[in-house]
This record gives sequence, structure tokens and C-alpha cells, in this order.
Amino acid sequence: MLLAHALTLAEARSYVAALADVARTFDASVEYERVLLQLDFIHGDDTPALDTAGPTDDRETLYSVASSAIEELHDHGVDGLQVELVLDMLEVARDKDLP
Amino acid sequence: MYGENTGQLRAELTTLLRQHRIQQRLGGKGIHTVPETTTIAEREELGHQISRFRRTVLVWCLQAVNASSPTADLEGTSLRTCQPVEELRYRLATAIEASSAGTTSLDELTASQGFPIVETWRLAAKAAALGEHDFGAGVGYVQLNDDQCLTVLKDAAEVVRALVALDRRYEGIPDWERLNEQGRLGRAAEVCAASSGYGEPNYTVDLRGWRPPPKLTRDPVLPGLDGILQGEHNLLVTLMNFPNAHSMRVVLESQLIVSREMASHARDVDPELAEKWQQRTDTYTLLIQETRDVRGLLGNGGAAAGQAAMVAARTQSLDLDHPIDGTPLRQLDRLFTQIDSRLAEVIERGTSQNLYLLRVKLPRLSHKSEGLIRPARTRYTPIDSRAQNALIPIVRSRLRPQPEPPRAPKDAGQSRSAFEAAITHRPTPRGATPDVPSL
Repeated sequence: MLLAHALTLAEARSYVAALADVARTFDASVEYERVLLQLDFIHGDDTPALDTAGPTDDRETLYSVASSAIEELHDHGVDGLQVELVLDMLEVARDKDLP
Repeated sequence: MYGENTGQLRAELTTLLRQHRIQQRLGGKGIHTVPETTTIAEREELGHQISRFRRTVLVWCLQAVNASSPTADLEGTSLRTCQPVEELRYRLATAIEASSAGTTSLDELTASQGFPIVETWRLAAKAAALGEHDFGAGVGYVQLNDDQCLTVLKDAAEVVRALVALDRRYEGIPDWERLNEQGRLGRAAEVCAASSGYGEPNYTVDLRGWRPPPKLTRDPVLPGLDGILQGEHNLLVTLMNFPNAHSMRVVLESQLIVSREMASHARDVDPELAEKWQQRTDTYTLLIQETRDVRGLLGNGGAAAGQAAMVAARTQSLDLDHPIDGTPLRQLDRLFTQIDSRLAEVIERGTSQNLYLLRVKLPRLSHKSEGLIRPARTRYTPIDSRAQNALIPIVRSRLRPQPEPPRAPKDAGQSRSAFEAAITHRPTPRGATPDVPSL
């Protein structure tokens, strides 16, 4: 894994974890955790640690940056279908998080 | 289990102790209205068969004595100065050695016998043979406390007393082989039973011993709450294999979902249980947050992760159209406790043996970057290091169930007192009026 890929994955994981923490509903939190598990599953043991210091608490911002970070994973060689599946899971989680 | 096997052994011996007129029960001469149905040679053979069954029970007794008290070195010590248990051990070993009856074959132990009295002996021998498994599976001197050891010793001594009493009664059988030094064996057993029975008996030993390992239920998925119970049982069985870190996290997530859903279903039926499960939900939420950076490739948790995902999906789609009964909820609570206990073991083992590691970002000095700091370098560290010190306290204080003191089975004391009553039982003399109401 190249450094750029690792940074992108670290960002994606951190934002999704932050979304799970600030989710309004239990179901949404569980769905965000599933997105995190799926990202880990795709990358196996080759995943960087979370960076919990940076992210904001704003859900919309977090969702946008998480979504773009996941999309960017495709540029680093991650299978496109897997990326789309993760994005779909993220959208399902977001739907459950809407008031 | 020890309680199950010894209970069966005592029950069969109690039946035998309440039987008299042994010749008649083997088809021999009896009252004039009952004809003789077996020849002397056949009764001899039946007697030999009973001797073989009796030998199996004697071997169990010796093993029980050995399991309850360590073997002492008798060299240079006379029996007169030994403890009662040493004398009983010696007498038992001598009786087994002197017996000319061979060992019971598996066919003999498993095939039912024509005469009820022989069948009862067979069941007693079968219980003794099954009971031998218990001594290697938790019923040993090292695993038992003093009270439990004395209880096992007393059980064995009472069984020996019963065998001696039966031996006296069976002397009329043709070619019957008496126990070697029957009187001394009986006295040793009586002394041993008396000396080990002074203290308060501890019948929790009945819960120990061998039990069949749990198996997956491969039946079709049951509807409703039974399907949840089935899934949780299968998850517990598959968790016997150590899961890798990813599978462990999938299991944690599934338990979070199951706890929360079931807490909402149980709120109207059992609010106390619902509150307990809500706390379990909070515990799993914390665990999931604390294990996000836990990694570990070792382990085989694919099956556990699969079962966990299925049970979570079943719980989320659970549609109860009728009120829940309290019984399955209590069964589910027991399964929750077992799963929590197993997961606590898994995490503790993964942490202590470094099977689970933590990814952390450690800045390091570098002369090539600005400020001599190069950020974002990932390292693996043990979970109980300074970088992660929240997981283990959560596991120990919230996840691991509080140990409950074992409670003895309800019928443990009754089974033993009925057996003792049968040993001292005497037949009612002819013409005596029974002390029970009669027509």
C-alpha cells in the first residue's frame, strides 16, 4: 500500500467512525459501523489507524468527506464494484440517520 | 456429569438392595406356585455375569477413592496407623485383584438382559463405566475443594457398603464368588463413610465431570424467538474456535444489535431483564468503539462471523405477533451470559498473547522533514499498552459476567439419603403388620 492510498483509507475510516459516533439513531450508528467493517474487510490487515483528532461534528460535512475519500480509493487500485458497494452502504446508513 | 452418573448408580443399587429371595429372581426355586425356570448351570452363569458387573462398580469405587484423596506412600506403614481412606483403598484394590470375574465387555454393557435383577446390575455397571469419564474431567483432587473431596469419598464408601450387603445376600447363588475379605472391606467402608460424613456435604460436585460438547443445531431455522435462540446457540458453539480480530468485531456488532432489539421486545414482559440487556447494549457499544483499530490475523472466526451476521439479521426482522413467554427470555439471557463470558476470554487471551494488536500512529523524529517530526507512521502495539488502556477495563468490569456460586441440584441430598436408607433396610418379617395404611 502506497502512502497516498494509506492516507486516503485513513481519512475514510476516520470520517466513517466519526459518523458512527455522532449518529442520531442507533440503527444509523450500526450501519456506519458496518461500513467500517466492510472497508476493513476489503483491505484485510493492511489498514491504517483512525485519526480521531481532526474530524468535525457536522454530519453533512463528515458524510461528504467520507464519501469522497471512499470514491478516491478507486484511484488507488481498489476494485470499483467494492467501492460502489461501500458507497451504497454509506448511503443506507445516512438514510437511517436523517431526522 | 458426576451427579447424573452417581445418581443412576445409587438408584440401581437401591433397587437391588430392596430385592430379596435372589434365587427366585434368577429363576430358581421359590414358593410352590412359581416353578423353577433355570437350571443350576444357568444360574451359575448369571452369577458370573453379575460378578463381572460388580467388578466394574468396584473399579469405579477405587477410582473415586483415588480421585478424592492423593495416594499415600504406604512403605513402612502398617494399615493400623493409616487413615481410613488408605485402608479402604487397600481393601478395594485387594478385592479387585482377587476377583476372578473378568472385565465386562461392551456388548454385555449395552445389551439388555432378560432377568430384571441382572438388567439392574447392568445399568449399575453402565453408570459406573460412564462415571469413569468424570474423574478425568473436573472430578479430581486438584480441581475439588476439601468438602467436595469428602463428598466423593463418602459416595464411594456408601457404594462399597451396598456391594458388601448385596454380596452377603447373593451367597446362595451356585458358584458365587464372595468379595475378598468381605468383612474387612465392609468395615473399612463404614469407617470411611462415617469419618468423611462429619462435615457439611458439598453436593456442588454433582455439577462437575464430563459432559458432551455442545454441537451445532443444523435443523431448519425456527420461526420467531426460537430462531434467535438457535442462532445464539450456534454462535456460542462456533466461538469455541478463536476468532481473528475482524470476525471478533463482527460478533460484537451482532451482539449489540441482538441485545438492543431483544431489550425492546422484553420491556413489557420482564422490565428487569430488559434493563439488563440495555446495559449489555451499552457495553457492546463501548467495545465496538474501542476495537476499531484492533487487528489480528491469527484465528479462525469465519463460522462465528457467519452465525453472528445471521442471528443479527433474524433479530432485526423479528416480528412477534403474540406475547412473549418468560421462559425463552431466560434461556436467551443464559446464552447471553455464556457468550459474554466466552468473548471476555477471547479478548483477554488475544490481548495477553498478542494475538490482537493495536494500530497506532506514532510520530517520529526525522531530520528531513520540517520541525524534525514525520507524522502518520503506523505501528502495532500491544493492546494493554499506554496507547490503549480502555478495552481491558471494559471487558473485566462490564463484559465478564459476575461469577455465581454453584448451586447443588435439588435432588442431590435426597438421592443419597434414600440410598443410605436402602443400605440399612431390612425386610419386613413374615406376619408383621406394615406401618402404612391398608385396606
